[in-house]
Amino acid sequence: MLGTIGATIRENAPVDAGDAGHIWVVGGLSLALAFALFFVGSRFTVLPLAAFVVTVGYGWYAHQAGTAKGLTLLTTVFAVLILVLIVVFLVARSIPAFSYMGIDILTKTSKPFWNTSGEEVYSLVPMIVGTLTTTAIAMVFAAPLGVASALFISEIAPDWAREIVKPGVELMAGIPSIVYGFIGFAIINEFMYSEMRLPGFGSYIAVGLVIGIMALPTVVSVAEDALAAVPESMKSGSLAMGATDWQTMKNVTVPAAFSGVSAAVLLGVGRAIGETMAATVMLGHTKLIPDPLYDVFANGETLTSVIAFEYGNASGLHMSALFAAGVILFVTVLFLSIGSLLIERRMERKLGGKA
Amino acid sequence: MSQATESVFVGDDTTGFERVAAGVVGVGIVTFLLAAAGLLQFVALGQSVLGTPVYDLFGYGLVAMGVATAGLGIGTRAGVLSADPDDAAGILPGTIFGAIGFATGGLVASQTFGLGTPVWIAAALSLGGAVFALTVFPREDVGSTIPAASFLVFLGGVVLGDVIAVGWAWTTPALTGTFTAEVVLPLLTVMGSLIGVWSAAKAYGGFGPSGRQAGAFLLIGLSVFGILSVLVILVVFVFIKGLPTVLTGADLAQLEIPFIMNVSAGLYVTVPGVLPAILGTIWLVVGTVVIAVPIGVGAAVFLTEYAEQGRFTQVVELATNGLWSTPSVVFGLFGLAFLVPRLGNAPSLLAGQIVLSFMLLPLVIITSRESIKSVPDEYRDASAALGVSRWETIKSVVLPAAMPGIITGVILGVGRIAGETAPILLVMTRSVFPFGTPNVLSGFRFTTSPPFIANDALLQSASALPYQLYATITAGQSPRPELFTAREFGWGTAMILLVVVLGLYAIGVLSRIYFRRKLNA
Repeated sequence: MLGTIGATIRENAPVDAGDAGHIWVVGGLSLALAFALFFVGSRFTVLPLAAFVVTVGYGWYAHQAGTAKGLTLLTTVFAVLILVLIVVFLVARSIPAFSYMGIDILTKTSKPFWNTSGEEVYSLVPMIVGTLTTTAIAMVFAAPLGVASALFISEIAPDWAREIVKPGVELMAGIPSIVYGFIGFAIINEFMYSEMRLPGFGSYIAVGLVIGIMALPTVVSVAEDALAAVPESMKSGSLAMGATDWQTMKNVTVPAAFSGVSAAVLLGVGRAIGETMAATVMLGHTKLIPDPLYDVFANGETLTSVIAFEYGNASGLHMSALFAAGVILFVTVLFLSIGSLLIERRMERKLGGKA
Repeated sequence: MSQATESVFVGDDTTGFERVAAGVVGVGIVTFLLAAAGLLQFVALGQSVLGTPVYDLFGYGLVAMGVATAGLGIGTRAGVLSADPDDAAGILPGTIFGAIGFATGGLVASQTFGLGTPVWIAAALSLGGAVFALTVFPREDVGSTIPAASFLVFLGGVVLGDVIAVGWAWTTPALTGTFTAEVVLPLLTVMGSLIGVWSAAKAYGGFGPSGRQAGAFLLIGLSVFGILSVLVILVVFVFIKGLPTVLTGADLAQLEIPFIMNVSAGLYVTVPGVLPAILGTIWLVVGTVVIAVPIGVGAAVFLTEYAEQGRFTQVVELATNGLWSTPSVVFGLFGLAFLVPRLGNAPSLLAGQIVLSFMLLPLVIITSRESIKSVPDEYRDASAALGVSRWETIKSVVLPAAMPGIITGVILGVGRIAGETAPILLVMTRSVFPFGTPNVLSGFRFTTSPPFIANDALLQSASALPYQLYATITAGQSPRPELFTAREFGWGTAMILLVVVLGLYAIGVLSRIYFRRKLNA
C-alpha cells in the first residue's frame, strides 16, 4: 500500500520547477511532524501544525492549482490512514488479553466465563454465541421481508406507492438505535415478562426482533439497487414471451440480481452484528451459554453490549478483553463488507456484459 | 416494466367466483388485523366485541375462510365455477403445507395425546406426507385450496372448541419461556389468515400463473403494509408517550417549554430539562461537519478528478467501505485508545467531535464522489475548451454543480450521526443529569505556553441527546421524581431526539427533491 501511495504521489506531483514542489515538501513534512508530535502527546504539536497552515496559505495564494492537488491527495491518504490507525490501535490494546488467555478466549466453554478480579478469566464464547443468536433471529426476520419489500419498491409498486414506501424505509433507517432500544426496553421486555412469563427482563429473541427491524432498511435499500440494475431488456424479453410479471420476477429478475441481493443480506448481517445500544439496554448482561443452544429466551450478552456496559469500570486486563471483543467485531464486519463489495463488483461485470 | 401489460384490451365483469374470493380475502385481512391488535394488546382476548369474545371472532373468521376456500376449490374442480388451473400446485405450496401438517401432527400427537417420541414423529411424518401429497398430486385448484381450508377449519375448531382458551399455557423444559394463550392464539390466527388470504388470492386470479401472481403480490403487499404500520405505530407511540413530559410546566402562549430550555439538575431548576443534551448534540454536529466535510469532499475531488482508476483508487474504495461498515462501538474504542489519552485523559467534547467525524467521513466521500461523477463531462469539456485550467474548472464548474448532492448527503449523514450513542458514550460523556451547558464560543482564550489557544468547553465532558436517553434508562432515576418518573423522562427525551433526527432527515429529503426538481426543470 505504501508503494501505491508513493507511486500516486510521484504521478501527481507538480513537475514544473519552482515553489509548488517546495510547498508540497514543506507542507507534507510539517503535517507529518505535527502528527508524530500528536502521537506522542506533546504540547508542541501546534507549532508544526501552524507551519503547515502558513505553508498552505502561501501556496493557496501563489500556486493554487498545485496546492489544491496536494491538499486533496492528503485528504485521500488521511481517509486510508484512519482505517490503518483503527486496526493498529485496536489490535495493540487487545494483545494483553489475547496473550493472557491464549486460545481460551475464543474456545472456553466451561464456567467461569468472565471474572474481572482475583483469578481473572475472560472468555468471549458466551458473547459470540449471543451475537450469533441475535443476528440469526434478526436475519430470519429481516432477510425475507427486506427482499420482498425491495421487490415491491422496484417492481410491483405503482408510482404513488413507491413515493410513500421508499421514504418510509429511509425513515426507519433514520430512527436512532437508542430509541429502538428504549422501546424494546420499555415495551417488548415488559410484554415478554408478563405474557411469556420469563424469569427476568430481556431475552435474545426480543433483542433479535428489534435488531431485525433495524437491519431491514439496509437490506431493502441495497437489494432495491440490485434489482433496479437488472437490464430492462431482460424483463421485457420475458414479458414478451408471455410470462406474467410475477414469473418474470421469480425466474429472471431475482436470479439475475442474486449477487446484489446476497450482498444486501450480507450488509444487513454486518449491521445486525454491530448493533450496540439496543442490545445493551435490553439484555441482562449475564455471561452464559444457553442450554440448550436454541433456547432463544435466554438472557445473556453480546460482543457489543459487553463493551458498552463494562467500559466504565474496566482497566488493565479487563479493558484489554473489551478491546479483544472489539477486534473480533471489527474483523467479522470487515470480512462481510469486503465480501459484499467483491460480490457487487462481480455482479456489475456480469450484468454489464463483460464477464 | 413494459407498458403493454397495463393497457386494458378486454374488460370483464366481476364474476361471482371473483366476488367470493375477494370476500374471503377481505375476511382474512380483517381477521389478520384483529389478531394483530390482540397480539399487541390493543384488545384483550376475553373482551367482548359485538357481543362475542374476541377469540371466538378469530375462530369464526378462520372457519368462514376455510369453508369458503374449500368451496372455491371444489367448485372449480367440479366444473361449476370457471378458472384456469395448472395441472399441479407445485412444490413450494406442497412444502409449506406439508411442513404445517408435520408440525400440527407432531404437536397434537405429543401434547394432546401425550404419545411418546417415536409415535409422535411417525404421526407428524405421516400427516405431513399426506398433506404434501394432497397438495402436489391433484389439480392445482384442489391442491392449493383443500389443504389450506382443512388447516383453517382445524384451527377454527381448536379456537371455538376452547382447546386453547384464555388461561391456557404450555411450557417445555428446553425453552425458558411459557407460551400463553394471549400470545399463541393471535399468532396462530395471524398465520392462518395469511394462508387463507394467499389461497383465496390465488383463486381470485383464477389459479394458474396469474393466480399465483395475485397470491404473491397480495402477500408482498401485506408484508410491506405491516412494516410501514410498525414504523407509524412506533413514531406515533413515542410522540404520544413523550408529549405530556415535554409539555410539563409549559406555557405555549409565551413559547416557554421548560423541558427544552432548562438544565437537568440544579438547585434553582423547577422543571428539569434536556438543554445540555440539546446543546451538546448541536455542538457535536457542528464540529463533526467542520472536520469531516472538507476532508471528505477533498478526497472525493482527488479520487474523481485527479487520480487514475487503478490500484490506489481501489485501495481507497476498500478503505472507505471498511470505515463505512465498522460498528459504531469500535469507533468509540478507537477514540478511547487513541484520542482520549492525548486530549487530557478525560472524556471531552473535542474527542466526541473527532470520533463522529471519522464516522461521517466515509458517507461524505461516497456521496460526494457520486455527485461529482454525475456532473456531465460536457461541463468540463466546455470549460477546458475555453482555456480554463483543471483546478479552476473544478473550483468554479464541477464543485458548484455537485454541491446540491453533497449537501443532501451531508444532511442525511448528520441525521444518522446525531443519533449515535455508542461512540460518544466511550469518549465524551460523564454525568447523567448535567448542571450546565457547554460554552464553546466564549471559551476560547489565549495561553502563554503551547498550544497557545485553549478552549475549556471543548476539553470537558458534555452530554448529548442519545446519551441522555441511555443514561436515563440505565440510571433508573428521575432528576425530579415528584414531577415525572425516570420512564417518563425517557419518553420525553426520546421524543425530542426523534424530532431532531426526523427533522434533519426531512430537511435532507426535501432538499433532494428540491434540487432534483431544479435539475430537471
